[in-house]
Amino acid sequence: MKYKFNFFSIIILILFSNKILADEKVLAGADFEYGQHLSGECVTCHNSTGLGQGIPKITGMKTAIFIKKILAYKTKQKDNAVMQMVADRLGEEEINSLALYLSKTK
Amino acid sequence: MAKITRRSFVGIMAASTTALSMPSIAFGALPRVVVIGGGAGGATAAKYIAKDSKGAVDVTLVEASKRYYTCFFSNLYLGDFRNYGSIGHNYYGLAVNHGVNMVHEWAASVNSAEKKVYLGSGATVSYDKLVISPGIDLKFNSVNGYSPQAQSIMPHAWKSGTQVQLLKNQVKGMKQGGTFVMVPPPNPYRCPPGPYERISMIAHQFKKTNPTAKIVVLDPKNKFSKQGLFMEGWQKHYPGMIEWISADTHGGIKKINTSTMEFETDLDTFKADAASVIPAQQAGRIAMNAGVNKGDWCPIVPASMQSQADENIYVLGDASIAKSMPKSGFSANSQAKVAANHIRGSLTGSKVFAPRFANTCWSLVATNDGIKVGANYDAKPDKINKISGFISKKGEDSNLRKATYEESIGWYSGITSDMFS
Repeated sequence: MKYKFNFFSIIILILFSNKILADEKVLAGADFEYGQHLSGECVTCHNSTGLGQGIPKITGMKTAIFIKKILAYKTKQKDNAVMQMVADRLGEEEINSLALYLSKTK
Repeated sequence: MAKITRRSFVGIMAASTTALSMPSIAFGALPRVVVIGGGAGGATAAKYIAKDSKGAVDVTLVEASKRYYTCFFSNLYLGDFRNYGSIGHNYYGLAVNHGVNMVHEWAASVNSAEKKVYLGSGATVSYDKLVISPGIDLKFNSVNGYSPQAQSIMPHAWKSGTQVQLLKNQVKGMKQGGTFVMVPPPNPYRCPPGPYERISMIAHQFKKTNPTAKIVVLDPKNKFSKQGLFMEGWQKHYPGMIEWISADTHGGIKKINTSTMEFETDLDTFKADAASVIPAQQAGRIAMNAGVNKGDWCPIVPASMQSQADENIYVLGDASIAKSMPKSGFSANSQAKVAANHIRGSLTGSKVFAPRFANTCWSLVATNDGIKVGANYDAKPDKINKISGFISKKGEDSNLRKATYEESIGWYSGITSDMFS
């Protein structure tokens, strides 16, 4: 019974969770190698050690969270001149590739 | 950027002794990249080529110093916002984490026909692709009366290291109510806002310990980077302390006298109790030796950072003509990633992506008062083209300025980690 419950839960999650649906859509269009290349621009400022000093760690970030944040900068809903400029020239392919790469990187 | 300290000199001598007994440093059959200069351009290029090729490319980084003191944030050391140790970095991470072959020697000359770099010890290293990222050399004679001997009296402190320590001692030791004279460099030069951040940090020191001191700035220019923001900050934090005099106003610095500490201009003769003179600049000597310069700087192909003179040589950072990017550590780091991707592609067939460049320069005006300017760029055939940019605004609220300062601390942590670990 326990196994069946878990299996059922997973099906429910896949079908109804917006977050997971968003992730699936993103992963379909993303290119890991391109994301890795693009991330070179991020790591000039975002320290991969996660020692947060004025700039947050972005490696290991879930794809949906990354995309939400980047879009908030792109649409100027979130303040920060550097990040608004960075987000401004990222198209969908770039954002998705970065989201994929960063989500799979420690 | 390479400074010989006593410790690194001992290291160089030890390395030289080894190398002398071995006239040519041999490598395996892997494609070979040699990088000259371990700063923001060279260290980043060496790391990314080694890291991303996963052992498929042999990377040698030639850098005389075993410990590298960054120019960026050396002003914060002047202002007591950083200690000296915190701006020093070593190359263990590049060697141990990424397999970069570290050669702590001077690059004496380049034979581009034979694709060889001759080291100070007489040993040679061969390359398939060479990256030259030597930073700047100072043109001491660009200021009449200034010289390599004079740099201990009026430090330029424009290559970090012991010169910055010396300048800080002279600032702190200046007599009460004395006058500090600063001569910024003419364009183009390393770190456009740097001289003005330095003025801010010296003023910050004086405000604490020598509040009646004056700072006179004899600028060879009529305007400067972030001018409105700096001047607003100086008026707010250090009212009456800083007098900035433009080239048109003083009519040019005719002569400086390091014995009498006098600066002669058309306007007046200024007497200093302490001073900093930053002369005009040019690409580091090895770039000239390699023949990739055109005048003082090195023209590059914007899409790859290859030298226009030699497709097997890439020139990064301050030494390059990377118009419209400023000469900054951030720019050099950004250019290095474009070059690394291109070099790896040409040697291993890996994918070469469209070049993307970026830069941001943060400056500290006073405690928790940070300002910034930045832009992103793409490559056009004739230049690195600015796409869009931003600059801090006058009158921003103190919370934003504090956040900008904190962001700069995060950036320092990020870029030095990106370069060295």
